[in-house]
Amino acid sequence: MMNTPQQVKNPSSSLKSRFITRFLGALTKINAEDPISSPSPTRIFQRYRRIKVASNKSMAYSVRSRRIWSRAMLSRFRSRRSAFSGRRSSVKTTNCTTINVTINENKTAKGGLDMQTDELRELVPGGEAMDVCNLLDETAHYIKCLTTQVQVMRKIVDFCHLSK
Amino acid sequence: MADFSEQSYRQPFPFLDIDPTMESLTQFAELNPQSFILDNSAFNFQTFFPLSINDSLFSNQASQGETMSGFIHNSNQSSVSAQPIFSAKTEVEEISNKRKALDILESSSGNSSSSSPQVSETGIKRRNNSGRGKRAKSNEKEMEKPKELVHVRARRGQATDSHSLAERVRRGKINERLRCLQDIVPGCYKTMGMALMLDEIINYVQSLQNQVEFLSMKLTAASTYYDFNSESDAMERMQRRKAEEAKELERLMREGYVGIGGVACFHSSSTYGPL
Repeated sequence: MMNTPQQVKNPSSSLKSRFITRFLGALTKINAEDPISSPSPTRIFQRYRRIKVASNKSMAYSVRSRRIWSRAMLSRFRSRRSAFSGRRSSVKTTNCTTINVTINENKTAKGGLDMQTDELRELVPGGEAMDVCNLLDETAHYIKCLTTQVQVMRKIVDFCHLSK
Repeated sequence: MADFSEQSYRQPFPFLDIDPTMESLTQFAELNPQSFILDNSAFNFQTFFPLSINDSLFSNQASQGETMSGFIHNSNQSSVSAQPIFSAKTEVEEISNKRKALDILESSSGNSSSSSPQVSETGIKRRNNSGRGKRAKSNEKEMEKPKELVHVRARRGQATDSHSLAERVRRGKINERLRCLQDIVPGCYKTMGMALMLDEIINYVQSLQNQVEFLSMKLTAASTYYDFNSESDAMERMQRRKAEEAKELERLMREGYVGIGGVACFHSSSTYGPL
């Protein structure tokens, strides 16, 4: 009963399992802290944001610091925690724009593809400071993690619907 | 027989020590005016290189001298047993031996891990494809390769300075990563250029991020609605929620997604007990 036959690697350390445990823990915490009494839109919206942040955070924590994008995401969360609502967005955008400008100046080859690589940089967290080679690498891992996230969340939603 | 083997042992050895540029080859050819000796030294090459191909001999410049002499000994001992190889390559032997030796060295230095029949084939191909004048330049390029850690084959007519070489390596890495992404992202075809593929990748990442947002909204709705649906007692609600989630975890575990270790820590407060 020690090792399930389906899994090849060490079962307890797969990305999916780590994400599931973390995310479900966060969900129960949100449900516990926030006893829904009134269905006001603001409360619902707040809840939605908390769940979204919990999902991204759980994924970033499951990857730890092994990837550039997860490190960037985690530092973003930490800076968010210290700076509350007003300062949050401004800090993020100023950082992005300054780094973006310097990288645009230093670019040499691959003229027509700069626009797309810039777009990709915006999408992948922490992409502004990466060169194209690392950017593609991080994108691949980021896509893999995003698909895991989507898969798990879908399953949870289906379960919630089923259990009614 | 002993004389023959001694002679052939001595002949190829100085050649292999020198950088096989065209000048040294002409010297070598002059040293051995008799075609008989040339043929036999070529024969030694052909038995020599199949033996050495499987070791990454040419990538270790430091020990090249000693190991080559060691191999020459080996080839001499096994020269009698290597007759079938020789007979299979009689056609190759008929070509001028200067070029043959050069080709073997070139292709084997480039592909140190390829098998022996491929060596002669690439040698013949190279000889048929490129002219002698250009080969000197690309030859130097080949000889530079083993010193660098990255093995990149320079094609004929391509620039050979370090900048373009680094550029080529970088482009190769990017193409490799793009190929991996192509497998992951649905809707990417090999025929698409880099721009189109990047577009597809960007679309896919955006759609995934949107899906996460949408699913979290759905989760919010499901949990809010779920809360309303249950009875008024908050504690009972929470307990039931926890039990449901534990059940969900168990279901996921049954499907092989969750590990036992991960579940155990989450199940600390559940009623199931240790698994």
